[in-house]
Amino acid sequence: MEFDFNSLFAFIIFGVTIGVVYGMVALGISLIYSGLDIVHFAHGEIYMFGAFFGLVLAKDMSIPYPAALIGAMILAGLMGMLIERVFYRRLTRSGGGYTVAGMGMIICGFGMSVALMNVAFLIWGADAEPFSIDLGMPLQIADIYIPQSYLLTAVVSFALMGLLHFFLKYTKIGLAVRAVAQNKDIAYLMGINVPVFISLIFGLACALAAAAGVLIGPMQSVQVEMGYLMLMKAFAAAVVGGFGSLPGALLGGILVGIFENLGAAYISPSHKDIYAFLLLILVLMIRPSGLFGIEAKVKA
Amino acid sequence: MLEIKNVHAGYGKLKILRGINLSVPKGKIIALLGGNGTGKSTLLKTISGLLPLMEGSIEFDGQILDKKKPHEIVKAGLVQVTQSKESYPAMTVEENLMVGSYVRNDRHGVQQDLEKIYEFFPILKTRRKTLSGTLSGGEVQMLVIGRGLMANPKMLMLDEPSAALAPKVVLEIFSNIYKISQTGVTILIVEQNVRMALLLAEYGYIIRDGVIMLEGKSDNLIHDSSVRESFLGGTVADTSRELSA
Repeated sequence: MEFDFNSLFAFIIFGVTIGVVYGMVALGISLIYSGLDIVHFAHGEIYMFGAFFGLVLAKDMSIPYPAALIGAMILAGLMGMLIERVFYRRLTRSGGGYTVAGMGMIICGFGMSVALMNVAFLIWGADAEPFSIDLGMPLQIADIYIPQSYLLTAVVSFALMGLLHFFLKYTKIGLAVRAVAQNKDIAYLMGINVPVFISLIFGLACALAAAAGVLIGPMQSVQVEMGYLMLMKAFAAAVVGGFGSLPGALLGGILVGIFENLGAAYISPSHKDIYAFLLLILVLMIRPSGLFGIEAKVKA
Repeated sequence: MLEIKNVHAGYGKLKILRGINLSVPKGKIIALLGGNGTGKSTLLKTISGLLPLMEGSIEFDGQILDKKKPHEIVKAGLVQVTQSKESYPAMTVEENLMVGSYVRNDRHGVQQDLEKIYEFFPILKTRRKTLSGTLSGGEVQMLVIGRGLMANPKMLMLDEPSAALAPKVVLEIFSNIYKISQTGVTILIVEQNVRMALLLAEYGYIIRDGVIMLEGKSDNLIHDSSVRESFLGGTVADTSRELSA
């Protein structure tokens, strides 16, 4: 049988598309890790809430999809800032990372994950909700048909990440965000109001997760348990890229996406969710600090 | 300019400073001297608002700083430069300097000050696009002093600018500190290198176990027998011999 390059190409495109979404959630996890020195285990649930916010805005309130995307990002960002202010701040104030307080933070994150899932269950129930938007006919390139939702996802994700990069690299506030992420004590001494910036970092990370949720929604469906697997895969993406490295998170996400799609296509589709972790194990065996591990050491 | 009265402070319940009195007049260079673990850095952190004040009061330029947050203290014009090697290693030299100007809104003035700092420290200009993590110890020290100056401070507090640097580099840094003070910036320098600091400063305070043990004009301190006994032992004498050579 002749090898079908067209379908290989299609699988890679689909992999990249889903991969940038993993990358966006991973980017949030990495941002929070650099900014607060904690691993945020409830990030999958923020993603799930983001998807529901998008669904409610687009379907129940009939707001156009792009506006719903932005609305969901803002809502999730505010929700994240509220969670950080009310629940996490007392824990992070006494230190994160490998300290005893950091351990408490991990447990608190898991607790928040369960709590958020139950809140979502109470509001929206356990059923999977279809999130259908009409984007028109699939796009045809050579012999490959790419659904518009995939194209939209790729474009929006890359645009958001480009925007984030520009913000961090070329604006005064972005510079201050990086300063806080790298060294809080010095940031304080340079006159930066560190707690406000930690809030901002958390809000940004949650807004990214929400964007991922609203983009994934039309491809799959929206349900309360969708966060768990996303967290695991984003986590794998962040570790593959090198924890704490922002470009690493994006690249890790894309790698995970491609690997997963190729595995599903050529090995076995029923084990689709295993491949991300297989890649994770492989990368950790060869480069324990991740592909961008050196940058991870100096953070962000 | 800076008046510290009966300051008690420390970490959590652990009290390190027990009644510090210190005053820095406008436009002068004042030295705070002491060995490791005597409370020098604790005092700086307390002044900068990183540690809470347990007792006493701190007044700067007519404002009471007692309950102020670190960023408000920087806005008031009092900037601390921490010990060397605390730059942002993943940022370029210029980005590091720009972080220093965070509290300011005068874009034009910031650009002017950036040029001024490059004049002070030409090496920073040639390396302005490199990551500061690749700089040498002396260069990082220049960078963090420059970063402090970017905030356009009325007063600069320098924490051990000579630490872990070669004597020749120390001399260069200290001559730059002198030049900075000539531009009208008041300076409090915290040092273990007692002789160098007293050469630079007009007046010195010697701290030990969280209290000011001795204070006086630099000339008097240099010749004080107890100062000689406590600080001017082998290593310091060697340093100064090397410098005079």
